[in-house]
Amino acid sequence: MKHLKILLFLLFSTTLIGQNNAIAAGEKLTYTASYNMSGILTDLAQVTMETSAVKTSKAALLRLKCTAATYSKWDNFFKIRDLYESYVNPKTLTPYLYNRNINEGSYFKKMKYSYSHKTKTVKSVQTKKNNYVENKNVSISAGTKDIVSTLYMLRVFNYASMSKGQSKSFNILFDRKELKGQITYLGKETIATAIGDKICYKLAIGSNQTNVLQGKNNNFLWLTADENKIPVYGKFKIPVGNGELKIKSATGLKN
Amino acid sequence: MKKIVTILAIITSILAIIIAVLPVSNLAIFPAIAALVFGLGAFYLSKKSGQVKKIIQFTFLLTIIALAVTTYKAIFNTTELGNTDTLIKKEAELKEEAIEELEELEELDLEELEIEDIVIEE
Repeated sequence: MKHLKILLFLLFSTTLIGQNNAIAAGEKLTYTASYNMSGILTDLAQVTMETSAVKTSKAALLRLKCTAATYSKWDNFFKIRDLYESYVNPKTLTPYLYNRNINEGSYFKKMKYSYSHKTKTVKSVQTKKNNYVENKNVSISAGTKDIVSTLYMLRVFNYASMSKGQSKSFNILFDRKELKGQITYLGKETIATAIGDKICYKLAIGSNQTNVLQGKNNNFLWLTADENKIPVYGKFKIPVGNGELKIKSATGLKN
Repeated sequence: MKKIVTILAIITSILAIIIAVLPVSNLAIFPAIAALVFGLGAFYLSKKSGQVKKIIQFTFLLTIIALAVTTYKAIFNTTELGNTDTLIKKEAELKEEAIEELEELEELDLEELEIEDIVIEE
């Protein structure tokens, strides 16, 4: 009962309503993923985040698509062609369908989630090499999103009203498991990017799964401190060195 | 001591050459610096004892080649995206499949959906 009271208090006293004023169809963000070892950078892959409008007979949806492709110099060693996409409500970013198609070297995996928010379940279909199909129904909590819609949802939060050190937590469905993610607002910073000097919101990203993101304050994301809140720079701790995600170009922004 | 330093110089210079020809050529700078340090150490110790072996000069040669390859690749090689035709094809296929699937989803009524609450933990 005491826990319930605390939960209700937290819900009513500090709840923010997320509304999409940052993301529109036709947006394309391109990034370079690199490996940084003691300041020596090695470019690995190009990551793109694209949005487009999708119409069905029932509704107009937003398609959020993320792709990762290694640069040609890597293709002979370790070729990556990954695709992640999520079909979401354009206003609330609530996902309805999620597709993941990963092709990494000789490894192949396909994953599809069909959401049923009324029953709080997700119907998943996993396809591996040799067309080995596995169906599984997963129960989810209210507000649980896949990795793509979560990434876009980070842009909907109102950071201007947050104080330094304040955290937000959310649930992510990844590999048919529900993970708890957390972002901590660390304040504003100005950083130089390929699209100019930008005043950014600096966020620390963490997870309850230690093998997903190492440590609580080792992974950072910088979002522009404007209406678009586009991610311009990301820094992620890996066992030796750092992984970096730097913006190359941004087109079709909403504001 | 002289022998150990010479062996280390050989190992690091070979490592520098191997890394220099791989896509991670930028990282060859680390073993190359180590090879130079060990090579100079081996050269100094050999000179003290009176005879400088040819192998030490060979490690210097390997290191210089590795550094030259790394510098060349860093200046002249541009990072370009490989062939993404299969990915583009896959994207189109998945989109078609997804639209079919979304048509069948009964729950797809945007008017009913409420904006979700996000919990903030202080």
